[in-house]
Amino acid sequence: MKCPICNKPVEMDDPYMPFCSERCKLIDLGNWASEKYVISMPIDPEASADTEKEDDEESR
Amino acid sequence: MASKEVGLNAEDSYGASSIKVLEGLEAVRLRPAMYIGSTGEIGLHHLVYEVVDNSVDEALAGYADEINVTIHIDNSVTVQDNGRGIPVEIKEEFGISAAEIVLTKLHAGGKFDSSTYKVSGGLHGVGVSCVNALSDKFELEIWRDGYTWEQEYSKGIPLAPLKRTGRAARKRGTKITFKPDATIMDATEFNFDTLAQRLRELAFLNKGLKITITDERLEPVKQHEFFYGGGIGEFIRLLNKGKSVLHEKPIHFEGERTLPNGGVLTMDVAFQYNDTYGETVFSFANNINTVDGGTHLSGFRSALTRTINNSAKNAGLFKDQKENLSGEDVREGLTAVVSVKLPQPQFEGQTKGKLNSDVGGLVVEFINERLGEYFDKNPAVMKKIVSKAIDAARAREAARKARDLTRRKGALDSGGLPGKLSDCQEKDPERCELFLVEGESAGGTAKTGRDRRNQAILPLKGKILNVEKARYDKMLGHDEIRAMITAIGTGIGKDDFDIARLRYHKIIIMTDADVDGSHIRTLLLTFFFRHMQELIARGHVFVAQPPLYRIKKGKSEKYIKNDSEFTREILRRATDNLVVEYGVNGAGPGGRLEGADLRAFLNQLDEMQQIFRKVERRVRDGRVVEVLSSARYQIDSKADFTEIENLRPLVDELQQLRVEPELRQDEEHSSWYIAFRDALHGERLIGWELASSPEYRRLRVLAKATAPFNRAPFTVARNGTRNGINSWRELLNHVKSEGMRDVNVQRYKGLGEMNSNQLWDTTMNAETRTLLKVDLKDMVETDEIFSTLMGENVENRRRFIEENALDVRNLDV
Repeated sequence: MKCPICNKPVEMDDPYMPFCSERCKLIDLGNWASEKYVISMPIDPEASADTEKEDDEESR
Repeated sequence: MASKEVGLNAEDSYGASSIKVLEGLEAVRLRPAMYIGSTGEIGLHHLVYEVVDNSVDEALAGYADEINVTIHIDNSVTVQDNGRGIPVEIKEEFGISAAEIVLTKLHAGGKFDSSTYKVSGGLHGVGVSCVNALSDKFELEIWRDGYTWEQEYSKGIPLAPLKRTGRAARKRGTKITFKPDATIMDATEFNFDTLAQRLRELAFLNKGLKITITDERLEPVKQHEFFYGGGIGEFIRLLNKGKSVLHEKPIHFEGERTLPNGGVLTMDVAFQYNDTYGETVFSFANNINTVDGGTHLSGFRSALTRTINNSAKNAGLFKDQKENLSGEDVREGLTAVVSVKLPQPQFEGQTKGKLNSDVGGLVVEFINERLGEYFDKNPAVMKKIVSKAIDAARAREAARKARDLTRRKGALDSGGLPGKLSDCQEKDPERCELFLVEGESAGGTAKTGRDRRNQAILPLKGKILNVEKARYDKMLGHDEIRAMITAIGTGIGKDDFDIARLRYHKIIIMTDADVDGSHIRTLLLTFFFRHMQELIARGHVFVAQPPLYRIKKGKSEKYIKNDSEFTREILRRATDNLVVEYGVNGAGPGGRLEGADLRAFLNQLDEMQQIFRKVERRVRDGRVVEVLSSARYQIDSKADFTEIENLRPLVDELQQLRVEPELRQDEEHSSWYIAFRDALHGERLIGWELASSPEYRRLRVLAKATAPFNRAPFTVARNGTRNGINSWRELLNHVKSEGMRDVNVQRYKGLGEMNSNQLWDTTMNAETRTLLKVDLKDMVETDEIFSTLMGENVENRRRFIEENALDVRNLDV
């Protein structure tokens, strides 16, 4: 696996897994603290069409 | 004292003049530590440095280029240089030779005539006379002006005046051999490595000076030679040896400036960055290692910071013009040697650890100018250094914010729990559960429905941003994370995390069964994995399984966790009294299915329908997928694509769809593939890559498994009613709608749609609920998913979300 911050390879038994180092871990924590992690999700017209279809099924 | 010495006659006054001098040296013998630091190891080696420093002064003045140090078998040491030789003429006012004055008068060492050396070092400036005073045996040999001169001392007392003993031809230099007095020195054994290290340092600092050290005590004799044409640049390379460096060549500047008092300041500065986070800096003034820095070092540092900031700004490397790199930022990974030489340096502190002379301004000016030029000529190196420093600044900023996340608000509310937490009554962590619930309203329901004796509720809301930009942006706010950390109780970070303070042995993530819910869950799990990993490793983290459907028929109701279970349930209900006949048109022997066989067949068809859609996303043409799901063809594995005969009949059938199929050779895999045109005339391939995908392989497995019964038309018989059906899709839909007849189906979009009793019954009650325990191994994958969702690569992210949009539950652990 790769360190989420610097992309260096990390082994499962590395002490800071999934990070390569204490420093990268700290940077990551700082990212959480400053609300940098945002999951973006397109409001997809297709997805909403699916939802409508399910609505129909439900009402049956 | 001086007045008594004046006017003594050189010839017969030797004894008289030397008495005064000896009084000086007697002081050294009485309090040696005052002069050489100690009578132990450090002081012992110091003796050698004092003698060597005299020779280095000759080199600095430009008269010597080689110094040889030898440790003899009796732990006496010889230091020999090829300088001018200590002056031998008789000094009128003392009546003895200049050399004898140097060796017997404190603070006389070479500096009685300030024009002799422009620059002079000497660790304590006490001079070689101290070494003489502390030596049992001290032999001096001088080659000067064509003659050899010799003199011997014991405990600082000359055994005879300096005597011309022979001719030296063109040989020049000074040779001093001394054996420390064991009655004074506690340590008498020289350490080769200690001496070698300092001599090497001197060789680095004095480019072009060759220094050798020989240890005759060893068999065979050990000898090292230090000679560095590159000076401190080579020192830097040595210091960075084995580290990976940001730029291949050390940056090295040498120059001179005139001091206000007219003297000359020589500056020699070299540095190089490596990829570590530490700083390795050595500073020297007149070859003395100024361990506490001083004006020369602070000048270098401030110029470095200023020039790097200026260059970065000019090159537009800062996103924000107000951005600024601090001294700490630019010194991460820095290896530097700063060496200055100047007349009469001023030091601070007993050990001369700090340079006090007013040279800071000149050093700043020099470095600004030269480094600015260097960066102009080497923009690539400058960019690497700047980006390293920007990283350092980011890390520092991150650390500050991370501290803020865990800092208690004030001393008064230490241990205070977040206001939003509805804690439980039980105090034994082993029996306590914490539900992290998505959303305030579901949090309210959970709070009403819970068993307050041992279940605590912390509602969390993922902030939603940016809805107007046609996308949802979800994140965990700073306060949410903070509240969570406080509630859990363990603290966070290398120094603070303490599993013993864990307040709940079950931490249960309870989110809606929709995309948003899965995103919040991914955020929470990723956070735990990255920063509270021990909670997962010890099995304290769980995911609740709220139902997705409720199926109600009459008074009986059933909760269903996910879509596939829902389909199974519907098909089970539908097939209770259903018979399906296949191959009804009489082409080949038909047959009939009912009961468990029928259910198995329909479940496979249902899976095939879902897999079909996934393959269709790759192939972009449903008709082609239909052909690919035909059991007639031998196209199940990659190996099947190596046989051209397997593909020919497929091409014939695709031909009829008018998709312009072409059979081509795949040289990379020594196999074959079919290229065709999709509706938008894009080229699509059926070959190695498709055959490697799990969805295609699953489609083939299902196609073959269903083939014996998947023979339209079908007839469905139920309670005496018979319906003819023309395709497997229609069959599936028909049976499903049969299964839904007379039942009331509720699909839960969120936890909030359940009332507190339902939530308790289905999800929270320890007697009836199912919890998924989060496993470290699963988390590796979740972290990757998270990284994809977070990633800079928008295209990857879009594709990922597209491909997983229908399989939200796959994000589950």
